[in-house]
Amino acid sequence: MDRQEQPAIRLDGVKAGREGFRLGPLHAEIPRGWVTAVVGANGSGKSTLFRTLLGLEPVTDGRLEVLGTPVVPHGDESYKARIGFVAESPNAHENPMTVAEKAEFASYWYPGWDWQRYRRLAARFGVDEGAKLKKLSKGTRRKAELAIAMAHDPDLLILDEPSSGLDPFIWKIWMEELQSYLENGDKTLLLATHVTEEVKRLADNVLFLHQGRCLGLYEKDLLFDAWRSLLVRETSPGADAGKLRGVPGFCQMESAGPGLYRIEVEFAAGGGLEAYLQACGFQVLESRRLELEDILGCLIQKEEANVEPA
Amino acid sequence: MWLPIKIDEQRPEPLYHQIEVQLRGLILGGQLREGTALPSIRELAVSLKCSAITIRRVYQDLEAEGLIRTRQGAGTFVAGVDLTDREQHRLRRASEELERAVDAGLQLQCTIEELEGLFRDIVRTKSENKGDSPDG
Repeated sequence: MDRQEQPAIRLDGVKAGREGFRLGPLHAEIPRGWVTAVVGANGSGKSTLFRTLLGLEPVTDGRLEVLGTPVVPHGDESYKARIGFVAESPNAHENPMTVAEKAEFASYWYPGWDWQRYRRLAARFGVDEGAKLKKLSKGTRRKAELAIAMAHDPDLLILDEPSSGLDPFIWKIWMEELQSYLENGDKTLLLATHVTEEVKRLADNVLFLHQGRCLGLYEKDLLFDAWRSLLVRETSPGADAGKLRGVPGFCQMESAGPGLYRIEVEFAAGGGLEAYLQACGFQVLESRRLELEDILGCLIQKEEANVEPA
Repeated sequence: MWLPIKIDEQRPEPLYHQIEVQLRGLILGGQLREGTALPSIRELAVSLKCSAITIRRVYQDLEAEGLIRTRQGAGTFVAGVDLTDREQHRLRRASEELERAVDAGLQLQCTIEELEGLFRDIVRTKSENKGDSPDG
C-alpha cells in the first residue's frame, strides 16, 4: 500500500464564500490514499468547502490545489474528471432527466466511465434506471447519484452527507462498496457526515470545521486516544475542586455527586496528569474515551477561548 | 476473515497498542497458524472501527518482528513462528496471569505464605481432576 507523498488537497490560506458566509482562511493538507471525514455543525462550511474544491465557488484568497492542480479561474479543469461528487442536495436542473439519462450524460464527461461498474452498483443499490429524477424520493435519488459518482472509479470521491435518506439495508451495501473502493489504498475519500458511525467505521482522519474555520485535522485514533472523560473522587475531604481546572489538558468539568467530578481532558505525552490530581487530593476512578461530538464541543470551546481576548 | 480482537474503550493504552498486542498473541499463541491470510488493512480497520493508518502501523510492526509477511498483490500472511518465541510467549502470558492473581490476593491482605499454600492446593486439585478427565 504505497501512499503518494503529494496530498490530495492542499489548502493554503484559502478563503471563499459570498456575502453572509465566509469560509477560511483554511490551512490543511488532506492526505492522498486515506479517508478524511469533515465534521462540523450545520453552517460550519462543509458544503462551501466542497463547492470550492470543485471550482463552483471562487477562491477569494490563498492557494488551493486539488489532485496536484491549482484551482484558479480559467485554469486546467481536467482534474475534475478524476473526482466523483455527490452534493448535499440534488441539482434542480437535472429534475427532468431519468436515471439512465444522467448516467449517459456522465459517461461522456468522465473518460474513466465504466458501464459495467455503473450497472453493478445500480443493481446493488436497487436503482430503477427508467425513473425520472424528480419523481424519486430523497434516498432513492441518492442511491442513483452514488452509483453514478462511483462509476468512473474516481481518484478522489467527495460525498456531502451521502447517507441521508438511505435505509439501513442500502446503507450496509453502500458501506461495503466504499470499503472495496478503498481496498487498494490509492483512493481518497472526503466525506462530510453527521453520522458518527460512518466516521468510526470509515475515517482515518477527521477535519473539524466551525463557523467557516478549521479546528484542526487529526488522525482519528490518536484523537480518540487523547480525549478522555475522567471520573475523579476527592481522597482528602475538603480538597479544592477549583484546582481541577488546572489539570494539564483541561477542557471542562461537572459535579457528579458528593466529592465526585467528571472532567474532560486532552491527554498529552508527559502531561503529568495523575501526579497533578494526586497532589490536589483527587484520585481517578474511571477513564473513558470521549464521543466525537463531545470532542468537537471541547475543540470549539478551546477555539473560542483563544479568540475572545483578541 | 474475522479475528478475535476486542478493543476496550476504557483501557488507557492507545488503540494501536491494544490491537498489536492481541494480534501478536494470536500468532504466538498458535491460534493463527502459519500461512493464514490476514484481512486487508481496510477490512480490519472497518471491522474494528479504527483507522487504516493504525492497522498499517500494526502490520508494519509485526512484519518487522517477522511474525507476518506481505506478498505484493496477494495479501498479508502469518509467518512461521520460532519455537523458542512461542515457548517464551506462553510462559510470559502465564506469568502475567499469575501476577494478576497474586495482586488480587495481596489486596485481600493475604500473606505470601498463605498464597503459596493456596497455590499448591489449587495445583494439586487441578492435577487430580486432570487425571480423571479423558481429554486431560
